[in-house]
Amino acid sequence: MSIAITINDKEYQGQAGQTVMEIAKANDIYIPHFCWHPGLSVAGVCRFCMVAVEGRPKLEIACNLPLAEGMKIYTANAEVEEAHKWALEFHLINHPLDCPICDQAGECGLQDYYMEVGKYPSQMQADKVLKPKALDVGTDLVLDTERCILCSRCVRFEEEVTKTSALGIFDRGDRSIIGTYKDKKIDHNYTTNLVDICPVGAFTSKDFRFQKRVWFTEEVNSICPGCSTGCAVELAFNRKLQRYYRVKPRASEVNGQWMCNFGRTVYKHLNVEKRLLTSQVWDEAKGKQQALATSQVLAQLAAKLAVAQKIGVLVACQYTNEEYRSLFSYFAKLNASFWQWRSDSEDRTAFDGILMRGDRNANSGGFEGELQKLDLQSSGGFADFCANSFDVAIVLAPELPNTFANIELQLQKLQALPFVSMWSCASVMLAYSYQQLVAMRVFTEKQGSFTNYDGRVQPLPQTMAALNQNCVDVSAAVALLQVSAHDDQVSNHDSQQGA
Amino acid sequence: MAVIKVPPPPVDRNVFFQVAGYFAEIMKGMRLTLGIFFRQLLRMEKTNTLEWPEQPADYGDRFKGKHFLTLRDDGKIRCTACFLCATACPADCIHIEASEHSDSRIEKFPVRFEIDILRCVFCGMCEEACPVDAIRLGPEYAMAGLAGDKWVYTKDYLAQRQELVGGVESIKAESAKHIDTGADKRRSYLRHGVH
Repeated sequence: MSIAITINDKEYQGQAGQTVMEIAKANDIYIPHFCWHPGLSVAGVCRFCMVAVEGRPKLEIACNLPLAEGMKIYTANAEVEEAHKWALEFHLINHPLDCPICDQAGECGLQDYYMEVGKYPSQMQADKVLKPKALDVGTDLVLDTERCILCSRCVRFEEEVTKTSALGIFDRGDRSIIGTYKDKKIDHNYTTNLVDICPVGAFTSKDFRFQKRVWFTEEVNSICPGCSTGCAVELAFNRKLQRYYRVKPRASEVNGQWMCNFGRTVYKHLNVEKRLLTSQVWDEAKGKQQALATSQVLAQLAAKLAVAQKIGVLVACQYTNEEYRSLFSYFAKLNASFWQWRSDSEDRTAFDGILMRGDRNANSGGFEGELQKLDLQSSGGFADFCANSFDVAIVLAPELPNTFANIELQLQKLQALPFVSMWSCASVMLAYSYQQLVAMRVFTEKQGSFTNYDGRVQPLPQTMAALNQNCVDVSAAVALLQVSAHDDQVSNHDSQQGA
Repeated sequence: MAVIKVPPPPVDRNVFFQVAGYFAEIMKGMRLTLGIFFRQLLRMEKTNTLEWPEQPADYGDRFKGKHFLTLRDDGKIRCTACFLCATACPADCIHIEASEHSDSRIEKFPVRFEIDILRCVFCGMCEEACPVDAIRLGPEYAMAGLAGDKWVYTKDYLAQRQELVGGVESIKAESAKHIDTGADKRRSYLRHGVH
């Protein structure tokens, strides 16, 4: 049933059961709030989202105000503005103002609202109540109870989303603190969400703590490649330093408001120290890899492919649909066999009930779908691949090696094959004696799409140029192979004619 | 071809007398210049010229010279690595790396604090931005050096170089800077509680 209301003398349509806050959020109407969160229940404890309703004697909180037909709401009159201002001072009474050492500074609700609705001279004369600071309360979490404004978002998250109920509010009045139970720590795979939902700096992430002030980073949208769920994420990126600092969830239909702790680590392999920046060929005399331009490495590979009888392509399911398409269509012409590289210990159907899936590859759906489109089949897994003796083995390594249980053993095993062209983005590959290393791009450097567990094709935007010109995506590598093969044919043709 | 005849300008015979006034003014000026010159030459008057570097020059307390980092009473560095100086810096010459301090009351401190002095424009905005009075521009002005010198000032150099000892009077005692309101002595029971 549709309900018509007016907000600031403008008409809006809402559904029965919606609250004023929800309709305001949907229409980009500004109502300051702390405790309300779209992914959590309504608590109504911060008393900050005050709005005036015509015909009612007192201000009401928008988050717990259900729509009623003909309701007239004002979000910005003098009375409401006063209420916001003094509600904010109330929240700041015992707040320590240690913004210089607080990681939340720059994205803090208290700072933002002070500039937007506050700007009052403080009238507090009494000393601030001191509370415990910098407590290690669990996985990736540091708790500062002094900074907390007791909005109870974290308590509700623990109760409603992860159902672990590890947090509570203890004591009374101005001595109330957020805390864990005695000798218990918060330990699950979703703890960093507490850092995201905390509107102040009470929860900070151990991983991101003191790494970068947030105003030096920009948020770039992407898709998490950590498992087959494909959560929408935003990465904190410093364009000048070309570095990523953290991953945060972005609200979407796939993941709602949240993401798991494993997904928070998918930025680490993007930074320069973990990257294979130039392609390499194995120098037998020196016993180590020698850097070579990617186009030259691929020209050598093309020459090798031209004479090879048996070609095997081992592919991890962490590349984009577009890359698979070009890879499969090219190598199918060379009568190569395709092999799917998966972790030994994975349980593809496993699901933790919130977001994370046992299939830890971003694009298993894409791999299988693209094979099907070309009427091809996967010949088998890793063990079968190693059992064959290929003249040329092309291996597309997983972008996230830590999604595999024992990747090192498998990488060592591959060294035994006669000719391995390893396509990878990771610098650890330099330690192995593969005949070729081709420097690949990572998921933020290429444009394409991932198909998640549900068959949903999600576009993956390119957020930065490749760290090095030599890094290519699979499509570009295949194009280079094609060009080299064509050149070879032309030159062979010429030489035959000459003879 | 037509020739236009231009009559010559009339000769002014009184030209010397017309400009005589200027000569008089020049002589007046020279009297002052030469007067000071000879008085100072014969040491009858104090000269304002400094024989630097033998004679030190004093630019006053407000001079914005070489940076230094202030220390706490216990000798620990005062900087909390909040990056406000690096944010305010228009020359982008301050590079900080923050880390967790072993003392939980300090929490955050710089493991690396570097100023690329060749980029610095001595605007003093770092000093203004600092919320804890940790960085100052000091009175040292002689910063010339050779190509091989260290032009990136490290944290140790900024906080503990030889020249700083006793050289900077403006570092106030901790007690003078933060007036004691008793807040530090008042300990919430929570500090000693279960947490």
